[in-house]
Amino acid sequence: MSLPAALADPRAWPGQVRVFADYDRDFREEADVVVVGSGPCGAVAAYELAAAGRSVVLLEEGPPFVPEEFELDGARSMSRTMREGGLRFTSGYVMPTMQAIALGGGSLVNSAICGRAPDFRLEEWASGHDLEHSSRAELDPHYDAVGKFLGIAPTPDDVQGRRNLLFRDGCEALGYSSRPIERNVVDCRGSGECFTGCRARAKQSMDVSYVPAALRHGARVLTSVQVQEIETDGRRVLGVSGQVVAPFTGARSHTFRVKARAVVLAAGVLATPILLQRSGNLANRSGQVGENLMFHPGTSVLGVFPEPTAPVFGATQGYESLHFLRDRYKLETMWAPPGVLAVRMAGIGHEFKRALLDMRRAAIFDAIASCHRSRGRVRARGRGLDPSMRWSFHPEDAHILGRAVWTMAEIFFAAGAEKILPGVAGVPDELHSLEEAEVLRRDPPGAAELVCASTHVFGTTRMHGDPARGVVDEECRAHDLDNLYIVDTGVFPLSPAVNPMFTGMALAHRSARALARRL
Amino acid sequence: MLVGMTLGTLGLIGAIALLLWAGARLFAGYPAPARRYARLSAHEAAFVTAAADATLPRGGDIPLSGVEAGIPEYLDGYLASLPRRNRTLVRLLFFLFEHVTLIFPAPGLDGFRRFTKLRPEQQRATLEAWGASPMRARRVVFTSLRTVLTMAYLSSPEVLRCMGLAPLAIESPVVDADLLYPRIGQPRSSVRWRPEDRSAPGGAALDPLGPLDPAYRGTPG
Repeated sequence: MSLPAALADPRAWPGQVRVFADYDRDFREEADVVVVGSGPCGAVAAYELAAAGRSVVLLEEGPPFVPEEFELDGARSMSRTMREGGLRFTSGYVMPTMQAIALGGGSLVNSAICGRAPDFRLEEWASGHDLEHSSRAELDPHYDAVGKFLGIAPTPDDVQGRRNLLFRDGCEALGYSSRPIERNVVDCRGSGECFTGCRARAKQSMDVSYVPAALRHGARVLTSVQVQEIETDGRRVLGVSGQVVAPFTGARSHTFRVKARAVVLAAGVLATPILLQRSGNLANRSGQVGENLMFHPGTSVLGVFPEPTAPVFGATQGYESLHFLRDRYKLETMWAPPGVLAVRMAGIGHEFKRALLDMRRAAIFDAIASCHRSRGRVRARGRGLDPSMRWSFHPEDAHILGRAVWTMAEIFFAAGAEKILPGVAGVPDELHSLEEAEVLRRDPPGAAELVCASTHVFGTTRMHGDPARGVVDEECRAHDLDNLYIVDTGVFPLSPAVNPMFTGMALAHRSARALARRL
Repeated sequence: MLVGMTLGTLGLIGAIALLLWAGARLFAGYPAPARRYARLSAHEAAFVTAAADATLPRGGDIPLSGVEAGIPEYLDGYLASLPRRNRTLVRLLFFLFEHVTLIFPAPGLDGFRRFTKLRPEQQRATLEAWGASPMRARRVVFTSLRTVLTMAYLSSPEVLRCMGLAPLAIESPVVDADLLYPRIGQPRSSVRWRPEDRSAPGGAALDPLGPLDPAYRGTPG
């Protein structure tokens, strides 16, 4: 169905985008709702509210990226699209973690994986956190709505590429279930460039999907603005204020204020609690703001096959196995810019260069683990929204990943790998058979032996039915304030067992619908 | 008393001499860098050059060495792109490795020298020892350094072509979003696309053996 002529030209849409070059003075805005953060959850909320006829201002600290801005080089890309240049890490257990700073948030540079939290995990959420309306039946309509909007579908075979299909073959040989990953990608061409921005414009990241749709419904989208304070009066929030920040340098200039009837925070699991802390320890009668910091720590194994795998072709992450979800780990295939993947290779000097050449015959599998015993907290550091994070990796949780390393070894050798690089300290750099890999099963590596990273974060503004034990209720409204909502994955009371984006968007969808009814 | 004063003076002179010697070991004697860098100091350029070629020496199936692949130039630009705190952390990483052999010496009687003064085999042995250390903290530091160097090495189109990992050519379609957003730093009036420029996303799956992205193609001949 074609759009009315007036809406066919994006430049004539009632909404408007502002970019850094547009700001020449301090300014004020007014709206029914101000949404802070244009990542997957914030973008869904902004669109739903605008589509319901509410006036919406969507604020984003990062700039919009167009394909000419995408850097194929991993380090350059991360330094431009990630907070702290992509060099953010936890203390306690030192682990890299990455959060994006761009219009569209993480969706610009993630691999678009959309998995629904499994029933058993939703039951754990409900039973342990006094939640009555977060069952499969209650959440599925919201998953469905988001899925339909974004065209979420399984990755087609023709863009899997060999390195993804080897995972399928290995799982089939072992009797482990596997399936093509469902993603918010339409007409993927298999460039394997999800992490640096989709040049094919196939990935339905928020900047090309929900944000334009919100603009079509009249939303105002302000980029390069950093919210620094939430303004309140008793139990009501009045709006937010902050400053314009230059792309990449973060240099601050003009001030702004947005007055609104409701505030929706989607600044991310690490920035949202800092914003609350900076605003007079807001919404924290429970003492839970910034607590319960949880990750899906992930680790990967690289396998080398006798024949080239042509790894530059294929969906970035095309296949997965949920076979071990109840054992608290999920397996996936993965590709990333070679400079990033090379961290998996062993050695120094000519040995290292020979290993780099193996990458043309390689596939990478990774595991993410649900680690409910491993918790931490987040606090403000310096003037901005960058966090100080302390996080501990519980030994039993680390062993979940340790077992996953063995499973990945099994799958590699079942798929015909000639060797694997487990990346585990104290184990030979290369293992050439399942028998050699037995060491991984006999003595699963612990936290000290694993190389981990994580981009999935939860829990710092958790949802709980009891106001004394959580920050928001099931509609993501703050217990302590009548018109403050938090819709990023910080509201998850526990890991969703799978990649969090889809569940975050479903919860944001529900929350925005509820807020639209209230206004 | 005179003897005491003399001994004190000698002690003071000795302490100053020791400090000067230590300072010289730490900070002096660096050659002027081969080129002028925007961010890398002479010390850092010397370290990065040494570490790049120790990690990625010349020869083999990927002929380029780390320096030939442009690691120092790349890291100079990379440092400039980082926020100040992270830039400082990367610089500390370089400083740590440059001087770590004054505490944990490299093999050999002459191993108590800073990294850039070591022989190439001592440099490699130092890096290997950190990479294989039973202490996680040391391995993390080593991995951080090698990651920074390797990311720079694998930014080289020639290296990626040798590895068979250069990105494929893709023509980006023009979608609604491209009519909305200018390039970073530009005003919205600079958006060059018009509604009639829009094209349908998608198309056939890429050919794994298809043409490379123009920035990664070699010079003909």
